[in-house]
Amino acid sequence: MHYTFNIERGNFTDAGQASSSVKRTLKQLGVDPANIKRTVVALFEAEINAVAHAYGGTIDVDIDGEKIVMVVADQGPGIPNLDLAMQEGWSTASAKVREMGYGAGMGLPNIKKNSDELKIDTEVGVGTTVTMTVYLT
Amino acid sequence: MATGEPYFRHSLKVNDYLCQGCTTCMRSCPTEAIRIRNGKAIISDNKCVDCGECMQVCPHKAIYIKQDDFGRLFNYRYRVCLVPTTFIGQFEEKYNTKAIYSCIQKLGFTHIYEVEHEMSRMIQLYNMYMDDHPEITTFISPYCPAVTRLIQVRFPSLVDNVIHVRAPLELASRVITKRLMDEGASRPSIGVFYVTPCAAKIAAVKYPVSGKETYVSGVINMDFLYNKVLLMLHDSDKNAQPINHALTSRDVLWSLSGGEAPHFKGAHYAVDGLKNVLDFLEKLEDDAVDAPGLVEMRMCDQGCVGGVLSINNRFVARKRLEYRARLFERLERSKLREPVPDDKTLTQEMIDVMTIPEIKPRSIFKLNDNFAEAFRMAERMKKIEKALPGVNCSACGAPSCAALAEDIVRGDAGIDTCIFINRHSRASEDAIRSIWGDRVKTKEINKDNKENNGNDSQGNH
Ligand SMILES: Nc1ncnc2c1ncn2[C@@H]1O[C@H](COP(=O)(O)OP(=O)(O)OP(=O)(O)O)[C@@H](O)[C@H]1O
Ligand code: SF4
Ligand code: SF4
Ligand SMILES: [Mg+2]
Repeated sequence: MHYTFNIERGNFTDAGQASSSVKRTLKQLGVDPANIKRTVVALFEAEINAVAHAYGGTIDVDIDGEKIVMVVADQGPGIPNLDLAMQEGWSTASAKVREMGYGAGMGLPNIKKNSDELKIDTEVGVGTTVTMTVYLT
Repeated sequence: MATGEPYFRHSLKVNDYLCQGCTTCMRSCPTEAIRIRNGKAIISDNKCVDCGECMQVCPHKAIYIKQDDFGRLFNYRYRVCLVPTTFIGQFEEKYNTKAIYSCIQKLGFTHIYEVEHEMSRMIQLYNMYMDDHPEITTFISPYCPAVTRLIQVRFPSLVDNVIHVRAPLELASRVITKRLMDEGASRPSIGVFYVTPCAAKIAAVKYPVSGKETYVSGVINMDFLYNKVLLMLHDSDKNAQPINHALTSRDVLWSLSGGEAPHFKGAHYAVDGLKNVLDFLEKLEDDAVDAPGLVEMRMCDQGCVGGVLSINNRFVARKRLEYRARLFERLERSKLREPVPDDKTLTQEMIDVMTIPEIKPRSIFKLNDNFAEAFRMAERMKKIEKALPGVNCSACGAPSCAALAEDIVRGDAGIDTCIFINRHSRASEDAIRSIWGDRVKTKEINKDNKENNGNDSQGNH
């Protein structure tokens, strides 16, 4: 099953639609609540990053008999130092983003913790693609 | 679809004579429990959580709450009226509680017991569950039975966050029954009747989540008792019988939204109203809200004063209770009023009566127990949903196009019930197209779903 969503730059209030839609589908499949939560948390964090740090982008979700693969792609500024970005507490979030309640530097570490596989392709000036896999059964 | 014993049973009924099949209730139900069949609303036992929303919104007053025959009262020698303060909040401040209670007595009750007397013990019971579960961060008050059931069906991952304790009225009925028995009454001679503000409490008494025995013998709808009492109050009988227990100012506010949470350590969230409850639970499920401690949730806006069987405006009733609480507080301070303090002793037997071993998740979303089959159904559902017009007209008897898609894959409806897809003549095609334009799809989906065109008109529930 395939789903596509658009992410709008700077639109924090509407973010989360992809994760709620995915959540509903996973509930229909009777997926274990702990796995649903992991999926939703990871997807939401990646989506928020695209809203906060990039210029929006797209989300592609694929669910098959054993796993869910979520690809969040943006054409943003890219991440210059990925090792640093993966550290807990590291953040370059703007004052405006912090005002929205984000910017603790916990998003990427959280994604890592909650997904079974994580791949981040990023290039400065080109964009970032975060690919997360969660095994459902 | 699975048949057999329904998980839940309900006191909410549709009056087929009054129901116009107007779809208003169906569109407002939080669990999509309603469908229109043969021109009338039908409620699915397994999905309904007794929130009362459908009854609130029905423009034809076709949904009602069945109540026990009042005459049953006289089958008992000792007749206890179990009143929640919500009832008192219905009356103007000029009527004192004694006058109200004396009217209740004149109707045939021998004893009156206020549910809120159990607040101190309930607080202890809540705390016991919270102390026993350090691994849980956010606890949900079990006060509103509609919330508990909503969690069972829509947020099954949160069932253990609900404090596993039965409703206060269960403790109150047990305490008063025990007291009368200590005074020499036999158990079968005691009838305890609870005055209910809503359908959820009835369901909780009659078809308890705990599966445990109840000490409540019957339920009286609040609006019914209100009318009787008000008539008598107008006769302005001043011979009010004193009653021997009175609530504290704190107890009076318990049923209101915000009346419970402040008595516990931690998060003082008081979430009320269907929409807010849904929103909060959704966030809680995603770990997107930081709320260590007790969260109080009431399905009705403002709490029980907003219950479907409440007579007066919820804000007015709330003000009246707050007024009484302030008045009581003043009188208590100047020693003009002496409330009987709540009995705080909690016996092991009470704990046994009140605790619930397990709240079972009952997901209404799950399409099939078998993952592979659920997957096939979800895929098909998505395809059907795409083929449907997405205007949610409800002409098919389902609350939304998505709900119809689900009904179809579950075998409870056929695709032909969609009037957009099943257009019979060029003229009807043109007429619909003139209103909805491109949303009118071709008939191709018909072929696609022919093999599953169940014409089960009653659905399955
Ligand atoms: N899609 C992205 N495009 C560009 N930079 C990103 C992107 N995602 C993350 N970053 C960079 O990595 C840093 C760390 O990201 P992370 O999600 O861990 O924390 P945060 O978004 O700053 O705060 P939080 O997620 O706790 O609200 C960000 O501050 C940002 O500099
Ligand atoms: S009481 Fe609530 S859950 Fe039950 S059918 Fe009515 S609106 Fe739906
Ligand atoms: S808030 Fe009170 S009146 Fe409303 S459903 Fe819950 S228990 Fe019943
Ligand atoms: Mg982030």
